[in-house]
Amino acid sequence: MAGASIAERLGQEAKTPSRFDHDDADVVVVVGSGAGGGTLANELCRRGIRTVVLEAGPHLTADDYHEEEWPAFNQMAWLDNRTTSGGWRVARDFPNLPAWTVKAVGGTSTHWAGACPRFKDYEFRIREAYGEIPGANLLDWPIGLADLEPYYDQAELKMGVTHRHGRPPLPANNNYKVFANGAERVGYGGYATGPYATNAEPFDGRPATLQEGFNFQGDKHGAKWSTLIAELPKAAATGKLDLRADAHAVQITHDARGRADGVVYIDADGALRRQRARAVCVAGNAIESARLLLLSSSPSHPDGLANSSGQVGRNYMRHLTGSVYGSFAEPVRMYRGETMAGIIADESVNDPDRGFVGGFYMETLSLGVPFLAAFVDPGAWGPDFTATMDAYERTAGMWLVGEDMPQETNAVTLNPDISDQHGLPVPNVHFDDHANDVAMREYAWRKGAAVYEAVGALATTKTPPYPSTHNLGTCRMSARPEDGVVNGFGQAHDVPNLFVSDGSVFTTGAAANPTLTIVALAIRQAEYLAGEIASGGV
Amino acid sequence: MALLTSGELDAHVDEVALLVRAMFPHEGFPEGPYRRSAKAIVDAAGEDARAVTQLRQGLAELAAADFADRDEAGRLDYLRGIAGTAFFEQVRAKVIVTLYDDPEVWSLLGYEGPCHEQGGYLERGFDDLDWLPAPRVEEAA
Repeated sequence: MAGASIAERLGQEAKTPSRFDHDDADVVVVVGSGAGGGTLANELCRRGIRTVVLEAGPHLTADDYHEEEWPAFNQMAWLDNRTTSGGWRVARDFPNLPAWTVKAVGGTSTHWAGACPRFKDYEFRIREAYGEIPGANLLDWPIGLADLEPYYDQAELKMGVTHRHGRPPLPANNNYKVFANGAERVGYGGYATGPYATNAEPFDGRPATLQEGFNFQGDKHGAKWSTLIAELPKAAATGKLDLRADAHAVQITHDARGRADGVVYIDADGALRRQRARAVCVAGNAIESARLLLLSSSPSHPDGLANSSGQVGRNYMRHLTGSVYGSFAEPVRMYRGETMAGIIADESVNDPDRGFVGGFYMETLSLGVPFLAAFVDPGAWGPDFTATMDAYERTAGMWLVGEDMPQETNAVTLNPDISDQHGLPVPNVHFDDHANDVAMREYAWRKGAAVYEAVGALATTKTPPYPSTHNLGTCRMSARPEDGVVNGFGQAHDVPNLFVSDGSVFTTGAAANPTLTIVALAIRQAEYLAGEIASGGV
Repeated sequence: MALLTSGELDAHVDEVALLVRAMFPHEGFPEGPYRRSAKAIVDAAGEDARAVTQLRQGLAELAAADFADRDEAGRLDYLRGIAGTAFFEQVRAKVIVTLYDDPEVWSLLGYEGPCHEQGGYLERGFDDLDWLPAPRVEEAA
């Protein structure tokens, strides 16, 4: 690897030989290598637990990545067929692309921008904080902020989050200068360039940012935390990791007692394999994790594995989302620099006087010309559209991310009529906005536009939600087995050696970007699972 | 199997380029990006029986409506009348992923694109905006 960049070297170091036998029933199998699965694997391996990671996608590394938006999308995105239904606009504009997640080693941690707010205490117990909300399937988390705080600390330390634990902030880029000045002028005080999991200075063997602005495209430089370059190489170095790319999970199998005993998958050569397992941890992102449990039905579990509650696939959340773009008289060049290194936290409170419950963040966002054209107003054309594009160089952008309401009817189900390239039923994603989501989005759009108008915007554009990058809730945590799929450690109520290890477990979505919380939960789950293994419980 | 001959392709590129400019009018754009987008539309249609048939029918109707002889407002008027049809959507959707994925257009719109080989924007203006004061970057106390 002489001459290879740090990011390329680390991505290569995540590769492992096939270490463990398919009939080795002592390994833990983790399905998925993203923020949840990749972190969990490292935390298990460093405790000496032999771990097989099955990743459906290829092992891409820094030199493979494209910075051009369409080639990067076509290389990284999960593009296996999916269907949509419901009233959300994504079902009309992108009927086969409900979500924008990654199918590659590192999962969607190779695509995330890096924003790292923590949940707030009330966001773990919103049934209590918000009261009864018609149409919402509200439930309090079985854990609270106090349970998670030590793991938030560990997550922030491992990810090198700016503004935390003495780590310096990123400098202000052009997009942030507009955003922060607008915030100040409308009276928001809670703005900063982070917390953000991209290095402002070298950290953990990875370089400081070059202000490239291509975190969504994998980050060729390696300043951003991802499991590909920060967790999996460390796991590989322990000798306890067996990372299998191009391994698409088909079904979790179980024994006569109802314990998970292996995972059947299709390997890179198209061969059907079965890896036996002591425990199985599902971390395929909320659509695929629910789909895999539903695909794992059997005569004794006719509705899917771990689904006695009937909640697998339900309560699908995707966050409020929406964007505002403002155009100005002077150049902005929003694309230069770290994409999401700007957060306004003032609206992340529960203040029902605004006309909705729950809160939201504003965060800087930039799209390149190809993606702005595709997503700023899907389906648009004509002089208004071209005026928006003509203003590109003078445009600033922000994303609005907030809590959406869990609804039992918003669900991932198996589509019986359409199969994927492996012959497996594709997932259908049904979503209708809740009235609270609509009210929050309208308010957030207005407030976002006001930020830009305060610094002289000539025009603002309110952009609808993109295909979902935050996919949550489909295997939710609950105190009681009848209310949800897993307990406070992500352990299935019905199957004690089956775990869910990604955003699927979120009982409610909170306003914060989910990755930090997914990582914190994975660290906590690894500690618990290691204890269970040591004590013979699993 | 190609469904259009190369001679037909060339003829259609001119008509489609005019249509693309009417649909996505950028005053400052030269003909090149519009022609490349039109060529991509015609090439894609040339491999697909329904798309080529839709394209031929749609272009024939444009000609019958004297589309090329109309002024800009007249062309927009016509396009508003056919917006949402399969023909219109076939063209519009392809323009989005070709015209705006063209490096000449990026340059015309002031987008510099990939920057890794140039060392990112750290030394090339990531913070060169000078018409607003430098804001605080730390969180509020």
